[in-house]
Amino acid sequence: MKNGIKFPAIGLEHPMVKRVLEIAKEILSKNKVLDIESLYNLAKRRLKIPRKGLLSIIQLLINKKILVEGSKFVRDNVLSNFYRKNIYNYIKKNGAVHFSLIKKNVISDTKGNYGSSGQLIWHLEMLLKFKFIKKIKIGNYTVFMPVNFESDMGIIIFIMQDDINKKILLLLKDQGLIKKSDVYKEINEKRENVYYRINNLIENDVIHTKEKENLIFINPKKIDIISIILHNKNYIENN
Amino acid sequence: MILNWAPEAIVDIIVSVIILIAVILTYFEPKTKKIKSLFYIRLGIFSLGLFFGFDALAILFLSTILARLIAFTIIFAAVFLTIGLNYVLKESYQSIILTIVISYGVLISFLAWVPDSIIIEYEAGYLNVNWDGIFLIIADLYLVLPLLVIFYWGIKTWLNSPFLIKKEANILLIGVFFGCPITLLTYFFYYINPIFILISDVIGAIGVLIFCIAIIREPKLLYILPFTLYRIVVKDRKGYPLFDHDWSESNISEEMFTGFINAVQLMSEEVMNIGGLLDINLQKGILILHDSELITVGLVSSKFSQLLKDSIINFTLDFEQMFKKQLIESCNEPEKYETAYLLIDKHFSNFPFRLISTKKHPLLLSGDHIEIPLELESRLKSIVMDKKELNLIKSEILKAPYGLSEEFLSLYDELKDEIALTSKKEANKLENKIKNKD
Repeated sequence: MKNGIKFPAIGLEHPMVKRVLEIAKEILSKNKVLDIESLYNLAKRRLKIPRKGLLSIIQLLINKKILVEGSKFVRDNVLSNFYRKNIYNYIKKNGAVHFSLIKKNVISDTKGNYGSSGQLIWHLEMLLKFKFIKKIKIGNYTVFMPVNFESDMGIIIFIMQDDINKKILLLLKDQGLIKKSDVYKEINEKRENVYYRINNLIENDVIHTKEKENLIFINPKKIDIISIILHNKNYIENN
Repeated sequence: MILNWAPEAIVDIIVSVIILIAVILTYFEPKTKKIKSLFYIRLGIFSLGLFFGFDALAILFLSTILARLIAFTIIFAAVFLTIGLNYVLKESYQSIILTIVISYGVLISFLAWVPDSIIIEYEAGYLNVNWDGIFLIIADLYLVLPLLVIFYWGIKTWLNSPFLIKKEANILLIGVFFGCPITLLTYFFYYINPIFILISDVIGAIGVLIFCIAIIREPKLLYILPFTLYRIVVKDRKGYPLFDHDWSESNISEEMFTGFINAVQLMSEEVMNIGGLLDINLQKGILILHDSELITVGLVSSKFSQLLKDSIINFTLDFEQMFKKQLIESCNEPEKYETAYLLIDKHFSNFPFRLISTKKHPLLLSGDHIEIPLELESRLKSIVMDKKELNLIKSEILKAPYGLSEEFLSLYDELKDEIALTSKKEANKLENKIKNKD
């Protein structure tokens, strides 16, 4: 060597370095904790190379950022990812939200370019797995909400994000019992739009019917929740 | 002529030989040859070896003149050990302790020639040449001072040593422990029973030998306390990064680091001339920049250091020489400069690597090197097109609980029909509903 270097080159292409890397992969693939001790012990047993040489290889892998500092996920460090934390905060702020809104408002840059759906679903799965959020199905929508929210509450919050639904529930709250066929006139909306929503509300057990008289009314068990949400805009954030 | 083969003379010869062997070993170990601090420590230990040698000769020949000359070997030992430790601790020979050691040394050299300071007496049935009176007390106290400084340094070095050289730091600690407190303690018993001086000498020699072995095995031990080396970066004249190497985590942000290098590259011709050096005090560390004809090298450390300055200049010269062809051809692919790792070994081999803090330091593989089952990998690739996002997910799969990847895929399948809804128009529609609600 021109520069009079006496030590042999240890590069990423060195067979021993590759073998140590293989051992690191093996430890991780067995879902075990990878730390210096476990890697050192296993590599020492398998490769039978001197302590200093092995430590130099581990040092090289860390320096080249092939082995990086980090540990398995626990609930405490799941939110250390910036996007994931924002997703969780967004869900907490809005109570119950559909996937598309999260994608638009959290996983997008200032120019409005969205991150991929795959990335968002990955973060949602992590939040689900570590019980930060839960999901419910409302009609065709999968809705995500904080894990401490009652599902009924999530359904109502999501439903009331729609203006017509909100008008229907306000009307029912004021009048108690009303003929299904009169609702669209009372709230001044198109008949088919109102019928579609009433059916959805029935499906989700938010309103009940007295079929013979074609009458509808709010599920008595949910009237309190609806009142709270209708009259307290900060309810979601406070909870 | 009949020699006085007293037990202390024999022990002194053995101890002297052990110490001189230790000194010779440190001299012949190539990695330790050029270390300035070790040069002085070696002189100090050599003087200690002479001390025992002269003591042996004084007893063998029952010579009071040789016994008085011993005083100078102690002074040399104390002065050189103090200078050596000063270099270890702050890259300078000067310190208050050195002033005290020299002043105290003047007193000793005077007291050594005072009548009755050396006596010949029977000790445990053998004739011995011993220090006596005030000289004995002052000289004994004089030995304590550098030993306490060495002990303090040894403990501090051991406490601060990074994981990778902890084993050698343990050896050093054992050596320092034998050489300082245990030696001093057994020497103290000499005042009760003279036999303890033999034990004390042997323990001291073993301590010195272990100390030297630790330094020979790992000269980095001498660089643990003066400063922490964080990072070195090499950029070409256009600002492309060619090589970087980390020794430890730095508080200095990446932006600030590269920003300074870029700024210096812009102003270098006006301010620092090619080949010049610039120190920038960043509060959290020192950035030393060296600009050469073809490259700019930036190095971050915790403190200013002349040694680092010299190292960076030599590193730059070697880097230019080693990669001259690539640099002239303006090649800016970092892979082509990977062998610069050898130059780090050459110029910075004595600086400890601190990225690994403990043996329980948790590690993961970075995204590019993660291998997951092929089937899962191909599905992930079909879901996540962006390489950066894909790598993030791959790296998180390894950190996530078992089975999470399958759950992710089934959630994706579940939501895939709704993904169509994520068009801007649909999302706006949903968002308006929320706004109206407010």
